[in-house]
Amino acid sequence: MRISSGRRGTVKQARGAKFDSKAGARPALRALAALVLAVTAVGPRPAAAQVRPDTTLPTGVQLKLVYETQYRPRLAVQPFSGGAGAAADEAHRILQRDLDYSDRFDILFALPEALREGSDYSRWNDLGVVYLVTGGMERAETGGYRLRLALHDVVYGSVKEIRLFQLPAVDDDGFRMAVHAAADEVVRWATGEPGMAATRIALTRHLGDGTYELLLVDSDGENLQRIDAHLRLYSPAWSPDGTRLAYQYGDEERNSVVERDLRTGRVTAITERQILAQTPSYAPGGGRVALALWVDRGMEIHEYDVERDCCLRKLSRQSKIDMHPSYSPDGTRIAFQSDRLGNPHIFTMPAGGGNAVLVTAFEVGGAGYYTSPDWSPRTSQIVFHGRSRGGVFQIMVADANRPGAPVQQITGEGRSEDPSFAPDGRHIVFSGVREDGMGLYVIDLVTGRIRPLVTGGRYRMPDWSPVLVNASSVAATP
Amino acid sequence: MKHRLTIPVMMAALALGSVAACGGNPEPQGPTPEEIAAQARADSIAAAQRAEQERLAAERRAEQQRLEAERRAREEAARETAAARSILEEMINFDYDRSAIRPDAEQRLMRKLTVLRANPNARIRVAGHADERGSVEYNLALGQRRAEAAKDFLVGFGIDASRIETVSFGEDRPLVRASNEQAWAQNRRDEFTVIAGGDVLRNPGGN
Repeated sequence: MRISSGRRGTVKQARGAKFDSKAGARPALRALAALVLAVTAVGPRPAAAQVRPDTTLPTGVQLKLVYETQYRPRLAVQPFSGGAGAAADEAHRILQRDLDYSDRFDILFALPEALREGSDYSRWNDLGVVYLVTGGMERAETGGYRLRLALHDVVYGSVKEIRLFQLPAVDDDGFRMAVHAAADEVVRWATGEPGMAATRIALTRHLGDGTYELLLVDSDGENLQRIDAHLRLYSPAWSPDGTRLAYQYGDEERNSVVERDLRTGRVTAITERQILAQTPSYAPGGGRVALALWVDRGMEIHEYDVERDCCLRKLSRQSKIDMHPSYSPDGTRIAFQSDRLGNPHIFTMPAGGGNAVLVTAFEVGGAGYYTSPDWSPRTSQIVFHGRSRGGVFQIMVADANRPGAPVQQITGEGRSEDPSFAPDGRHIVFSGVREDGMGLYVIDLVTGRIRPLVTGGRYRMPDWSPVLVNASSVAATP
Repeated sequence: MKHRLTIPVMMAALALGSVAACGGNPEPQGPTPEEIAAQARADSIAAAQRAEQERLAAERRAEQQRLEAERRAREEAARETAAARSILEEMINFDYDRSAIRPDAEQRLMRKLTVLRANPNARIRVAGHADERGSVEYNLALGQRRAEAAKDFLVGFGIDASRIETVSFGEDRPLVRASNEQAWAQNRRDEFTVIAGGDVLRNPGGN
């Protein structure tokens, strides 16, 4: 028990967080990512692209469902050579799908028999392939496998990158994650950008009667694991090093926030159960957690030093409902939701507290209603869900550096809530209700492609982990 | 009356016996003095027993009346307690995304106020609930604010804050499991539970 209601003396009052109307004049520092439509022969069309703009949208919301065509280089992954058998097939399957899910390539899934081995660049070139991935996988003397991956630039007719990876045995927990890390390395070779395959998503499943399971699933929707189950188990949040989860935990009387060490399974209470505590979020360094605490008749954003187990600070003061804090990548600002204007809206404020800046467009008496912000780990974009036409919630994106500018609605089908950014800053996981069911879905901000992650249950409140395994940690010396 | 009749009859019987004894043959035999004495003793015992039985019957009747009165009082108290409890436990509803006390809720809270004032030992728990729309987390906070709004109202009228606990269940325990306006309107509510001092409650407002 760390934060105590009896220790209010330690609560340092930050400068009053006030709505700063002048901040709306700030110049745009960063343009939003171009949103383009991928029209390809193999990839599914984004379902959202079929939704037509509607004039009854709330003020300040623009539909960005029609994505412009963007060139995606065609990529093929040749079956792995070597004597690894079924393990090589499994590694190939995982890697090829990861590259597909990166939404950066147009994957050539069906390879002609003649091209299942060898690297005759001219024949690949004839198929429009720009990047060829080849691999050799062998049993390692130390157990597990050695996978040598090469990325070929077919157009220039040369090997662009080559690296040896150490994989554990197929039945080892680390096998899939090591292949995911190799896939992220291929993305980096080809694009210079980080991938997000070597990640997991923490999520909850509502079992009814207020009981929720805490689950983890790999970024490709496989390996679903149950971690915990409890009343009102809400809002799991990853620590930046991927070793801990903070989440809300309730019982018949109260709700508190706990921290679970995923390596040891040890659960520590961050807040005392006498105080309603919600929506924890780690600062980039991992030493501090911002959360919402019910203190003095209102829900306010607080910050707590989990490293030194001390120093609770109150960052907002409006005596209404301020919650869902999320740090900017550099840790200097916090996005949060507040209903200080009546309906919930998205604001930012300095990480130490201070003047709040309204991000979402506001109209007196308007239908604006925006909740659950999550700040991109790479840019100034903030994703959240907001009330769209017909009162249905959809995923929307705003730029923290362009307060008051129109927010962009990026989903249009069914109902979409609880968004969370992937570490690559372009994929977003959200909970959705679709014609064919409900579950978690992943949308790519650039192509607009939506894929199901886990479906068939009341899955809510996902949080995308940081990259859990780096390529360098699975790299082997030749 | 029976007592009084018995003795002259006995006297007459004795007289007849005497006459017969003095008469001819066969001489009828009257009761001996011992028999008369025994009869008198028996009669006296019977009379005493009857008196005792009647006293016991009267006592029983009085006891029954007392029990009946007590039972009626208990029933009355139970009815009053139930009435007071139903006033205390009457739900109140809220508008969408709001925690302001509506006029209909205000009337119900005023009735609760009267009962709480008349029963200083009664303690209640207010549980706030939300409909399913909006984020799960925000709905939990909204439920807390709804519970606090009812508490604030009652405390504002002088009820000790320590007598009212608050909790929120957010959207997790809907009263009506449906996704339409009618269900949502019923699910946006405060539920009230008497958690102490509720065995006997006074209801000054009458039944």
